[in-house]
Amino acid sequence: MTLLTRASPQTLRLLALALALLATILFFATQIEGYLSPRMFNRISTSAAVVLPIAVGQAIVIMTRNIDLSAGSILGVVAYMAGQTLSSMPDLHPILAVLFCMALGAALGAINGLIIAWGRVPSIIVTLGTLALFRSFLVEWSDAKTITTASLPQWLVDLPSANAFSIGGLDIRVTVVLALAAVLVTGLALTFYRPARRFYAVGSNPDAALMAGINANRVVLTAFVLAGAFAGLSGFLFLAKFGNITVVAGLGYELKSIAAVVVGGVSIMGGSGSMIGVLMGALLVDTIDNSLTRWAVVSEFWRDALLGGLIMAAVTVDTLASRQLARLRKGGSE
Amino acid sequence: MMKLTGLAFAAGLATLMGSTAMAEPVTATPGQAVNAVLLPKFLGILPFDQANRGAQEAAAELGSTGTLEFIGPTPENSAAGQIEMLTNATTQKQNVVMLSNNAGDQIAPAAEAAAAAGTKVVTWDSPIPNGAGESFFVAQVDFGSIGVVMADMAFDLAGGAGEVAILSASPDASNQNAWIEAMKGTMASDAKYKDLKLVDVVYGNDQSEESYNKALGLVDKYPDLKVIMAPTTVGIVAAAKAMQDEGLCEKVKVSGLGLPAEMVSYSLNGCAPQFALWSFVDLGYLTYQASYALATGAIKGDVGEEFTAGRMGTFKIEEDPGRPGAKRILMGPFTVYTKDNVEAAAN
Amino acid sequence: MTQPVLELLGLSKSFAATQALKDMSLSVMPGEVHAIVGENGAGKSTLIKIMTGVHQPDTGTIRVDGQPVTLKSTQAAQDAGIAAIYQEPMVFPDLNVAENIFISNRAKGRIMRWSEIHAEADALISPLGVKLDVRRAASGLTLAEQQTVEIARALSLKVKVLIMDEPTASLSAHEVARLLDIARALKAQGVAVIYISHRLDEIFRIADRVTVIRDGQHISTKPIAEVTEDGLVKDMVGRALESFAVKTAANPHGETLLSVKDLGLQGTFKGITFDLHKGEVLCLAGLVGARRTDVALSLFGIAPATEGTITLAGQQVSITTPQQAMDLGIAYVSEDRRKLGLAMPLSIFANISLASLGKLLKPFGLIDRAAEAEMAETYRKRLAIRSPDTLIEVGKLSGGNQQKVMLAKWLETKPRVLIFDEPTRGIDVGAKAEVHAIIRQLASEGVAILVISSDLPEVLALADRVLVMREGRQAGILPIEEATQERVIALAAGQASAERPAA
Repeated sequence: MTLLTRASPQTLRLLALALALLATILFFATQIEGYLSPRMFNRISTSAAVVLPIAVGQAIVIMTRNIDLSAGSILGVVAYMAGQTLSSMPDLHPILAVLFCMALGAALGAINGLIIAWGRVPSIIVTLGTLALFRSFLVEWSDAKTITTASLPQWLVDLPSANAFSIGGLDIRVTVVLALAAVLVTGLALTFYRPARRFYAVGSNPDAALMAGINANRVVLTAFVLAGAFAGLSGFLFLAKFGNITVVAGLGYELKSIAAVVVGGVSIMGGSGSMIGVLMGALLVDTIDNSLTRWAVVSEFWRDALLGGLIMAAVTVDTLASRQLARLRKGGSE
Repeated sequence: MMKLTGLAFAAGLATLMGSTAMAEPVTATPGQAVNAVLLPKFLGILPFDQANRGAQEAAAELGSTGTLEFIGPTPENSAAGQIEMLTNATTQKQNVVMLSNNAGDQIAPAAEAAAAAGTKVVTWDSPIPNGAGESFFVAQVDFGSIGVVMADMAFDLAGGAGEVAILSASPDASNQNAWIEAMKGTMASDAKYKDLKLVDVVYGNDQSEESYNKALGLVDKYPDLKVIMAPTTVGIVAAAKAMQDEGLCEKVKVSGLGLPAEMVSYSLNGCAPQFALWSFVDLGYLTYQASYALATGAIKGDVGEEFTAGRMGTFKIEEDPGRPGAKRILMGPFTVYTKDNVEAAAN
Repeated sequence: MTQPVLELLGLSKSFAATQALKDMSLSVMPGEVHAIVGENGAGKSTLIKIMTGVHQPDTGTIRVDGQPVTLKSTQAAQDAGIAAIYQEPMVFPDLNVAENIFISNRAKGRIMRWSEIHAEADALISPLGVKLDVRRAASGLTLAEQQTVEIARALSLKVKVLIMDEPTASLSAHEVARLLDIARALKAQGVAVIYISHRLDEIFRIADRVTVIRDGQHISTKPIAEVTEDGLVKDMVGRALESFAVKTAANPHGETLLSVKDLGLQGTFKGITFDLHKGEVLCLAGLVGARRTDVALSLFGIAPATEGTITLAGQQVSITTPQQAMDLGIAYVSEDRRKLGLAMPLSIFANISLASLGKLLKPFGLIDRAAEAEMAETYRKRLAIRSPDTLIEVGKLSGGNQQKVMLAKWLETKPRVLIFDEPTRGIDVGAKAEVHAIIRQLASEGVAILVISSDLPEVLALADRVLVMREGRQAGILPIEEATQERVIALAAGQASAERPAA
């Protein structure tokens, strides 16, 4: 009781999330042979690595009380155009390739941000529009051509299986390091960089932000630009990992990213959330997704339903718990 | 393996021979105005673009003074988008819609409405399962023979015995479903395949990342798996990439239906030593030829009618053995690609 | 004499046709507590918004430390050393206390040194005499604690002038005492405090000088020693007093229709007891925050009372939903026409029939359009709604006509008890007189009427009796013969002398 009222809601949320992750892993360990293996670690870590950057960007946007439904389409456009660029310029330096992806994503994100911040159109409507718009652009642009692994430079093809380092038999792949770097840098900025704190302020109480002299429009624009840049980074990782890019690349990633963010305890009402939470949320969603694929008990058709049910359960528990907590606090202070 | 390909050739030959036994094949008069729509499952992947190339080629040859539009839904909206576009084509009074159906039987009412309003619906690549509203289906190959060739490639790659899993496109794709059924039928009916075990069917929904993850899921779930059979061009290449990334190419072979251009590296490095496909360019070409003949009244769309299809020769309308009551034109044959012929085909 | 820290010279400000401030001048000395008092609508909030950079004056000059300044944003006002705290504090619930304090402090650099920030926040908070963990999130802080955070925020900006706008409206007595202590401490540090409150007792406890404003104009500024409560009230009410004091004789009261005893809603109001007779107009008077609307909402079932009894026509009833209230014949004409009363995009007739559609049903649940239009037309004529027909969107009507549409909607339900909440707020003088006439007319037809109004002349013009509320309590009931503006204000503001004769 004292613990419940003294620890911050965020801390409790993270604790609950860590427990859920642990419980999930333990459960599947009893169900799937050879589950607790370096191989399984690789499967989940490399798969989560693609989702993580886009989830980081989504989290920033959601913190400002907005949402980015176009993130998956941005990922697709970036993955495709980056693939094209690298096919025609195979000597492009890898770092420049990553920067190209992030810049392209940021430009697409800026389109969202400008319309939302200065056009005063709700983000859900704008990004629903650009979700279709960016995808249609890609269909036009691609001219029905597929980017194939064969046309990509060798360093990119080899990237997904490249090891950064190993800890105790667990291989940490380069792509995983890239994704974790995105989480770490953003996490540090959101904690220690004053301008980044404004994402929380604007989402927490827009009126108060105005009174405190914060330019909310600029903050929202920045959030969408960052979300685009991170979707671009995910696009790069997507291109590296899957190699064969068609116009359907990244379809549904907006929902995956929202799921990771929401399960990770970022309030859909804005104002709160942490990168640790997003990391755990992405891991939890991906662990469940990957484990269900390998679990003989659940048929193909129930997998998505189960995943959806789980996300709803996470959000419901979160809401109920926060409400209960608020009641406890109120009761305690009187 | 080669014997089977031969069988397919034999089937094609039988068609040709059958045709000479009947009345003279008709030839449609060139230069007429046929407004046609080529409606693929969705836009943006190579096979459909190739089909469009073939259709445009045929339209140019026939000198149609009408239009040939290549339109299709975006990938996330495939089924609903197809129904909407078919309905639109009907109201625009197009003469013929050439449809690669991705909406199962859901599209049948729209197709029947189109037929009633005078817009002919010709399916290709993937038919309307119950055949309603469709004039005929231009089949790339005999669906039964795809079952045989898939079973045979699996047999070869598994060394005659072991576990096989299927990575398909979407659970609603009627062509893939028919091929999988045909493969199962072949494996059940011939004692040759008794040591091959089909352990699972999973779906990658024609998305690279989903197919990739599903392929990895299969090898984790079935440690003794020897072959992943992917009767979809997106799935096969994603599965091959997954095996290559995980260094599993020695252990698990990937096969199925793939485009040589996309598969060349995996064929050469042994991840996918054998796969099959027909020419989508030819499929588009033949579909347009048949649709033009139908729209100009040269053929009625009845069983037994024969017509000439430009450079591809003569074809005949016949009962579709897989769909009672429905009609098809069988293109065939398909080619089995190995490291010996894939490079030539890729360019 | 030292130089004033803030001078306002000849400020005027108009919003559309309303002149909110007229030639307003004020000077505030460093280290003084300067109270500003005035009735609701006297122009206090406009004045505050100009001082904090939310609005800009049409004419006039603002000087800080003798230098003319332009306050074009809240940021500019803060840079000039002026900050405000409000009745409803502006905190960020998800950020912790320390960050709330330093959020807009640009002098702090780009990197958050959390331990430093926490230590500095602690150093700002603890002299304020409040125990507050600066690391905890601001959500769940009490109003008083949130105010403390805002004061600390203002102090961190090294303010020269701190405006406190009705800071005690929602505070307990203990919290008020602490806030006044804080104000004194600030004063000792040389900060000028502009203190705006309806509560005269607080003003006498804290202020050095007091300025009275009325109708957007400066009336007087005097040292506190030179004013009395009566004098202040007279200045606030002004001459308008006589013009409205004449009141027609009260209607002879019919039988008791509604009887309310010890009505209360936890944490909101308590101990409300009155009888309402047929044909009587009872006005609920009080200051903003006296919780009058909450009483009305509980009678209408929107926020049901948790204690006490309601008796209607001799039957004890419990009202927990608006539907129940309507079934009992209670109607509520709300203050906020947009939020609670009218569907702005719909036509006049659709709005009028909204609450009584049940009567207009044809077989199969269809609505009888002809009857609906006829009903609306009847009201349009009877209430003189200025509109060519009843098809016009309500959103396009003037405030007074909107008020009449809302009234028509409720009259059609044939209420026995009609509750008006601020019936004439925001409507012009002519329409106001019409609404008053309608209310008196309804009363004479036997409807029991409860009117909530912050407009004292209106209360005195309409009421048969006046129930005065203060901070969720019933301060007294005055028969109209005994009700004067001074007595009502005295009761509402909690002036001790007036309370005794009323009790």
